[in-house]
Order: sequence, then C-alpha cells, then structure tokens
Amino acid sequence: MQFKFFFNEAVNSLVRNWVMSVAAIVTVLVSMFVMGLGMILFFNFQHAIGELRNKLEVEVFIKNTASPDQIEELGDEIRAMPEIKQVIFVSKEEALARLRKNLEGHEDVLDALSGNPLPPSYEMTLRDPNQIEEVASRFYENPIIDNSPGKHDGVKSGGETSDRVLRVTSLFLIGGAGFVFLLTVASVLLISNTTRLSIFARRREVEIMRLVGATNWFIRWPFVMEGVFTGMAGAAGAAMLVLITNRFIIESVVNKMPFLPFNAEAVPLFWLVLAVIVGGTMLGSVGSGLALRRFLKI
Amino acid sequence: MIRFENVSKVYDPNIIGLEDVNIHIERGEFCFLVGHSGSGKSTFIRLLLKEFEPTEGTITVAGRNLQRMRRSALPYHRRNLGCVFQDFKLLPNKTVADNVAYALRVTGQPVRAIRRKVPEILNLVGLGDKMNNLPDELSAGEQQRVSVARAFVNHPSLLIADEPTGNLDPDTSVGIMQLLYRINRTGTTVLMATHDREMVDKMRKRVIALEDGKVIRDEDKGLYR
Repeated sequence: MQFKFFFNEAVNSLVRNWVMSVAAIVTVLVSMFVMGLGMILFFNFQHAIGELRNKLEVEVFIKNTASPDQIEELGDEIRAMPEIKQVIFVSKEEALARLRKNLEGHEDVLDALSGNPLPPSYEMTLRDPNQIEEVASRFYENPIIDNSPGKHDGVKSGGETSDRVLRVTSLFLIGGAGFVFLLTVASVLLISNTTRLSIFARRREVEIMRLVGATNWFIRWPFVMEGVFTGMAGAAGAAMLVLITNRFIIESVVNKMPFLPFNAEAVPLFWLVLAVIVGGTMLGSVGSGLALRRFLKI
Repeated sequence: MIRFENVSKVYDPNIIGLEDVNIHIERGEFCFLVGHSGSGKSTFIRLLLKEFEPTEGTITVAGRNLQRMRRSALPYHRRNLGCVFQDFKLLPNKTVADNVAYALRVTGQPVRAIRRKVPEILNLVGLGDKMNNLPDELSAGEQQRVSVARAFVNHPSLLIADEPTGNLDPDTSVGIMQLLYRINRTGTTVLMATHDREMVDKMRKRVIALEDGKVIRDEDKGLYR
C-alpha cells in the first residue's frame, strides 16, 4: 500500500473541503467529550459508592426483656465473627442521650415519654461491605433481638441505602449513554456526509482512476483515511478536553465542595483517553465506510 | 488484438448501439473508426473498456474474453489499454507530472520508477518544460499531449483514442497524430475514433466506418469518404 500517497490525497481533500471537515471534527469532538464526561462521572460515582459502603454498618436492636447475660453473650458471639471489624455496644442510656442530642432545641418532646423506651443495641462495621446483607441475616432468628416476623426491623443495615444510590446512578448512566448514542449517530452521519461530499467533489477523479486501471481499494483508501483522520482529530481534541476537565474542574469542585462525592484520582485516565481516541477513530471509519458503500459505485 | 464476434448492444428503451458487428484488428495495426455522431463509435470503445456488457456476442481483447472476465480483473484489463479522450480527462488540481504519475501509481509502481518514467515520457511528447504546470495553464494541444503521455506511460499493448483531435485546431491535430503514429511504430495497436476527414485521408490507414450501429465499410488504406 502506498501509504504516503494515500495520506497526501486524504489530507489534501480534507483541506480543500475544510468547512465540512471542521464540522465533522467538532461533532466527533463533542460526542467523544460527552462520553468522556460520562465516564468521569461514572468512575466518581463508583468511587463514592465504594466510600459509602465502607461506612455501612449493621445495627441490631435488643429486646428490653433480654437479661444482661444474654446481651453479653450476643456481644461475644458478634466479636467472634471474622467479618466484623468493630463492635460498639449502645446502652439504653446512651441511645437516649444520642436522641436528645439529635433533637437539640426540641428536647421537650422527650419529656412526654415515661421512662426510656429505647432499646440497647450493637453497632458493627464490617471488613468487607459486600457481606453486609449476609451478616445482617444472621440476626434475623435471634430470640433476644426485636424482630417482628418477616420484617426484621430489629436489624438495620445500610444495604438498602446503597442500593438506592446505585439505582439512581444507574438511571443517570443510562440517560447519559442514550445521549452519547445520539451524538454518536450524529457524528457518524456527519462524517459520512463529509465523505460523500468529497466523493462528489472527486467523481471526475474517481472516473479517471477507474479508466487508468486503479483497483477498488486503491480508490477507496484515501476516502477511508479521510474519515479516520477526521475521527482521530475530533477524538484528540476530546481527549484533551477530558483531561483538562478532570484536572481542573473536578479538582476545584473537590476543593470547594468537599461534601460532593468527587475525586479526581478515581478516574483511570489512561483508559479513558484510550477509549475516547479509539471511539473517535471508529466513528470516523464507520462514517466514511457508510458513504463509500452508498455513494462510491466502482 | 481486438476481436468482435456478432456483437450487438441495445440500450434500454430499444435504442440500437451496435448491431451484429464482426471486426478483427491485428496487433500493431493503426485503425480509424469513423461515422456520424450516434453511429456507434462510442459504444464500440466503451465495450472495449468493459464499461458495460454487449447484449449479444463476444469481445476478445489481447486474447482475453471480456464477458468471462471477473469484475475484480477489470482494473488489470484497463491497465493494458491506454485511453485518450476528446476532453482530455486530466485532473485539474494536479500538475502535469502528477497527472502522468497517476497512471503509474495505480499500478503500484515504486516511487523511484515513477520519478524516472514521468520526465522521460513528458520529454517524448515535448512537454519536458511544463511538468510542474497545472493543466489549465496549458493550451488544448498541450493538454492532449499530457493525456497521450498518461495513456502511453504504462506501455499498453492497445491505445484507444476517442476523437483526440476533436477540440483542436488543424495544426495542433497534426502534432497529436504524429505522436499517435510514433506510438504505433513502437508496436502498440492504435484505435482512433474520429470525425477528422482530412486526417484520415492523409494517413491512408485501415478505416472502419459505422452507421446506425452497423459496419458499412472496412478497408485497408482507406479514405474517410
């Protein structure tokens, strides 16, 4: 293959139709940039969910009828479990003190209570947050734990919260993927249109090429390369924007609003840039391939 | 070199392009194809280039049956033919040298060979000093010379010229004819479709006359008439 010759032909044609080329490059850039942003958000959410799950606890509430011995026995049982990182016993008094603190300014509501209705409890943090459901389920049948049958409201685990967060993020990601898909279609069509215009501009040339005995692929290569270059140019721009976004915008968000679950280091930048560039190049070749199939009758 | 056997070509709504043509042109011959517009000259040439298929009959070029040729072999068939057209068919945004180099590039010749052959052939047609000009900076006669150079640079066994002097004044035409004649003298078969009565009468070569798609005359050392 005469790479240099095809390369020159492709570049010349891109420069000659520079308005269309720029339009196609910008579309690829936008769609790949949005894809990159989506991926940054995805990795950040993943990171945030991971953090959240690390903080998850299992809390078991003990019946008021349980004797101190039974409570102590349960504590030993829990401490013997290898999955448990840390156990804290919260007595009735401590529970009330916490509640009082949470209700600061409205302590008077507690005066309506006769005595202390709060149960004592154990709070456990786990080594591996993925085992949370399994560990929680071990307490469902325990007789001293305040379980109404089937509901297990005496055992509280953060699993549901993290599930809810996951569900929201996956909705978000599906929406983002749909948007990226639309942009992808738009850029394929635009590249295909650019290629079509350049086929049209060079139809005389193509006819002459055929007459002097050029093979089909000799005629096609410059057009294919045109599409690939368009895709690569757009992708390179998008990769740069993605890097800048991650470096400056996400970092400044992290600094100014540390309560948001963002982390600039959560993103595997190498893979992200690779995905953007491969994606853009694919868009380019698919786009020009489409146009060749439809408009270049050889 | 060229053999037409019972060749007919009917275009779609029953328009006859060629009707039962039997022609045999030997290797190394110089042959004129004459006739009015619409007499079938272009159909004849386009069949040779395998731009479309005949409705009936078989065409053999350089020993190869065009009807049995695969589409993928078509480019290689065309490399064996040189073509010169009335409208030159040069690439407007390539220099004279690049236009000629094009025909070599498509055959996959190495760059070094291209750099050697292009000036050689352009000197032969007398355009050695215009290599880096664009086609529209040249006169019509010069453009046709470029076209001839491109057709001949691969040293094809058959050179087809479709009214090569149609757009040229008589003096310039003579120059092109001399060029074609010299090419013929190297052993290349030349087939030239033309309206140029004077030229045909002067050359006294084989003349095949077409009318309404039929061969009405085929004589050696013939006249235009």
